[in-house]
This record gives sequence, C-alpha cells and structure tokens, in this order.
Amino acid sequence: MSLAINAPATGTMAAIAAGLVLVGFALRLSELLPTRRGAIRAGPISGLFQWRVVWLTLGAVASILGLMAVGLIVGDFPVSARDALRTALWDRGGEFDFIVNTLRFPRVTVAVLAGMCLATSGAIFQGLINNPLVSPDIIGINNGAAVCAVFILAVGGNVSLLPYAAFVGALSTAIVIYILAWKRGVSGSRLVLVGIGINALLAAVITFIQVRYPIERVAAAARWQAGSLFGANWEDARTLIIGIAILLPLAFVLTRRLRILQLGDDASAAMGMRVERERLLLIATGSGLAAIAVAVVGPLAFVALVVPHLARLLAGNITGGVLILTALLGSVFLLGADLIAQRLFAPTILPAGVVTAALGGPYFLFLLARYNRAI
Amino acid sequence: MPFDASTPRPTLLAQDLSLTYGGPMIVENLGIEVPTGEISVVVGANGCGKSTLLRALARLLKPATGAVILDGHDIHRQSTKTVAKRLGLLPQAPRAPDGVLVSDLVRRGRYPHQHLFNQWSASDEAAVNLALELTGMDEMADSSVDELSGGQRQRAWIAMALAQDTPLMLLDEPTTHLDIAHQMEVLDLLQELNQTEGRTVVMVLHDLNQACRYASNFIAMADKTIEAAGHPSEVVTPELIEKVFGMPVIVIDDPVAGTPLCIPMARSGQKERATASV
Repeated sequence: MSLAINAPATGTMAAIAAGLVLVGFALRLSELLPTRRGAIRAGPISGLFQWRVVWLTLGAVASILGLMAVGLIVGDFPVSARDALRTALWDRGGEFDFIVNTLRFPRVTVAVLAGMCLATSGAIFQGLINNPLVSPDIIGINNGAAVCAVFILAVGGNVSLLPYAAFVGALSTAIVIYILAWKRGVSGSRLVLVGIGINALLAAVITFIQVRYPIERVAAAARWQAGSLFGANWEDARTLIIGIAILLPLAFVLTRRLRILQLGDDASAAMGMRVERERLLLIATGSGLAAIAVAVVGPLAFVALVVPHLARLLAGNITGGVLILTALLGSVFLLGADLIAQRLFAPTILPAGVVTAALGGPYFLFLLARYNRAI
Repeated sequence: MPFDASTPRPTLLAQDLSLTYGGPMIVENLGIEVPTGEISVVVGANGCGKSTLLRALARLLKPATGAVILDGHDIHRQSTKTVAKRLGLLPQAPRAPDGVLVSDLVRRGRYPHQHLFNQWSASDEAAVNLALELTGMDEMADSSVDELSGGQRQRAWIAMALAQDTPLMLLDEPTTHLDIAHQMEVLDLLQELNQTEGRTVVMVLHDLNQACRYASNFIAMADKTIEAAGHPSEVVTPELIEKVFGMPVIVIDDPVAGTPLCIPMARSGQKERATASV
C-alpha cells in the first residue's frame, strides 16, 4: 500500500525537479529572444508590439496548457494520461468522470484564472506606485478580504457567503486606503504607507478574531487564510471568469494611461490626463482583480508581488502586451505552485499558499538585494 | 506630422491672475503675455511663485481669479487633450519608471495624439524619430534611462516633450541637478529648437546669467507678481536684481554673449567698497 503511494510521488518529485530546470532553461532562452518591434497599421487602427513579448506569450500559453494537462493526469488516484485527457476533453462521463471533471479540471481552471487576477492586480499596483516591492497583499487588500472571510468562518456563518464577504472586504479596504491617503490627490508613496498601516491593523483584527472564537472554527479560518485551491469547483471558476471578463479588458485599456501616470502627476496632467480619475479607476480595477481571486482561493501570498516583477524582467516596462504576459505568467506560477503543493509531500497535501510563499519569499529577498545594489 | 510652421501660431497670456494652493496667495494680480516664437525665462527668488505660475500656464492649477488664455480662449474651458496638443510641460526633476528605455519614454509623449485603437500611427513614429534625432538621442534609443548621465537623461525627457509636438513648451528648471557643462548642453539644445523649429519656449531658470544669455524675454518675479519683463539688455539692471533677490550686484557685459552679466557683491564687500569710495 505504502509502495503504491510512494512510487508515483517519486515520479512527480522528478517531474517537479524537471519542471524547475525547464523554467530556468526558459529564462536563459528568453534572453536570446529578439528585441525587435513591429507595427500594425490598418486604416485607422494602429499599434506597436514587441516580438519578444509575442514569443514569451506563446511560451506562456504552451506552459499553461502543459501544466493543465499534468494537473489533470497526476494525483492520488492513478489515471492514465490518455484516460484523463479523454475524459476531460472529448468523452465526458465514464469511470474517471468524477476524478477528472469534478475534482481536477475545475482546480486547474481556477488556478489559471486566479493566477491571472493576482498577477494583473500586482502589475497595476506596481506600475501605479512605480515600485516593484508593492502588491495588493502588502497594502492590505488581501487582509481586508481575510478579515471578512475569517469572521464568517469563526462565527460559523454561511460558508457560501464567503466569496462575497471577501470581495466586499477587499474593496472596502481599498476605498478606506484611498480616502485616508487623499490629500489634494493621492500620491503613490502615501498610498503605500497608509496601506501598510491598514494592513497591520487588519492583521491585528484577524488575530483578535482567532483568539476570541472557538478553536475548531478558527482552524478552518486559518486554513482558508493560507490560500488553497483545495475543493475548487466550477462555481468558483464561473465567478472568476465573470470578474476577469469585465476587469481584464478594463486593465488592458487602462495600461495606456498607467504608462503616462508613471511619469508623474504634473507630466500626466500636461499630457491631457485627468490624473485622479484615472488613478482611482486603476486602483479600483487592481483591487477588484485581487478581491475576486482572494474571494475564491484565499489570500495566496506573493503571486501578485513576484509575477509582475518576473514579467518585467523578461519583457521590460509595462505595456498592454506585457500586461497580458503578466496575467499568463500568473497562471503558470499558480498552476506550478499548486502541483508542487499537491505532490511534494503526497499524500499530504499542502495549501498552495504555502508553496507560493516558499517560492515567493526567497525571490522577494533576491529582489531586495538586487534593488539595494542598484541604489 | 512633426511640428511644422503651418500649425497656427500659439498665443498664451494671463490676465489678472491670482494663484493659491488653498492657503495664502502665491501669485496676485499677475499679467503676462508670452511672446510667440521666443524664449521666455522666468527668474525670481525661491518660493516667489515661478513654478506655480508655470503650472497655471499649463492648466495644472485653476486660478483663484483671472484667467490663462491660450489661443484666444480660457484654458480651463478647453478640453485637456486640445490643450495637450498645443502646450507641453516638462516638470522639475521628473522621475522615469525603473528600467524604462529611452525610446519607450519618448513614445509616451505621443499620448495626446493617440487613441485606444490608434496607438502607433505613421505620424507617431515620425514624431518620435524626429524628437530622438533633434535631441541627439537616436543612438541611445534602446538604452535604459537609468543608465544615462544627467545631461542625457534630461535630453531624453526633452525628447519626450518634443514628441508631444506642441508649438509651446514649458519647462520647469530643466537644468537642476546638472553640472555646468550639462546645463549649457540642455540650454543650447532648447535654443536650437527655438531657432530651427520656431517653438515658443517658457522656462524657469535659477541661474541669472544663463537667463540673460538665453532669454529674449526676461521675466523677473517679486512680490507675488511680475516685476519686469522684456529683453534682458533692457530690463536687467542692478536695481531690478536687488529688488528681486534682495542682493546687490553689479551688471557688466558678458564677454562671450554680450548679454548682461550679474556679479553678486558680498554684503561685507559692499560695505568696504562704500567706505573706500567715501
């Protein structure tokens, strides 16, 4: 029995190691990509794109499809690759239907979508504040969601309300931060400082709820707080798809204005931008994206911080194309993290948030060290 | 298309202008007319409202009283995009996003001319290339702005303002944080742009002698308004400079440019001189 469990685990360990090597290889390879730009012009429509971003985007899509396939195939219950893909794609039903289409497929789908939301949100905040060390989790948006969610779990409220509560918590936190940071306009650094203060306050509230309520309910809350894709279902995926359908195109459109806002308030205003209105729109979009992801998968750490930075490293400063690449890399990161979380200590399953933090933490330190050297 | 002489010549003036950030008035009852096609330089003591005036002229600050008139209409009654196509502003010590490339920075200057589905038209490309060429930054288009020297960085920002392709350019202390050679480099560039492209330039400068040398319209601010304006050889006198900066100077001819050259007298030195001459 134990052999039956351990044998696939060794295989997946090797697969994970191979995956990491591949990621490193891909990073090296990306340095060889062309830096040329191309222009599209057709009548009144025109645009500029970087070939590098095109190739990287294709690579990211391929990685997502590959990792999704792996996510459908591997797991505690052995399903052959052929059976898994067949059941998921063209021959639904059959003996593996429950495993593949109820447990695994929604899970990888939610990982793709939530990764997109978190990474895009991070890219918006980092661009807006002109600082690669900022993300919605650092300025308190995630904890805002967590306070509401933890409260519902701790008082034993209706669990189906949880995503909505988390969403409301995240958005109201964003509004409070924006209002408190307002002083004849909102400057980026004040937003961060106020956000860090609010974040600390919210963390204290969460701790208070945890010591105030019975331990067995608090345990559920703690589990949610780690961030996990466990038990993800199609309902979750639908929630995310609706949010993404609205917010991702909005983020894409706003990127053009974000690029101008990055030059400073006076320069943007002189270029004909209504600075505060655009900034508010960007903050709302970024918070909304973080909010829907946190509402569904919990406050997954570091995705929003690390992925936009990685995208910038690969493809340069933010453009519409880089934003899309960031979103896709978010999916890759979360899919990979969840696979590791599931298989690393199989049959013990870690929450994906533990893995994103374990990967993101060291990367954050690397970032700090790099940043220090640059200054 | 890149800036050409066929675009209507801009007019910019302010009447009875009072400006405040909510507290005390910073500028009061100021009137100014910017001469088209010339370089105007605003000088004045720290905190006298030079930058505030520039911001008001660029529509960044709504006047408490009076109005800024661009092309014959109140600037606050015109759409932001209309204004942005006529008048560009380079703020003081602008900060570029980390790792941004020169070409990327300059491209952003095209924002007022672009739309969601029209982001890189032939005229955008032409304006960006011309701006890079005029500033001598075409060789460095693919360098990161962080890696440039101070003077090059400022040239990159000026290229961005040029790409905006406005007949009027406002610059707030374009030479701050630059060493003397880079200061001259930037000022020479602006003079060249004024002469070859006919762009109207309004800038705030700290250095009196540079202001005298490069301005054809010298604007001195004191007491929340304009103390004197005109060609430097006509308006720059020891009395004016003492009034504006509260510092005695002697004014001689600049041996290089022939423009007025102000040489400060230390207060103690002045006393000695005064006694010596008695």
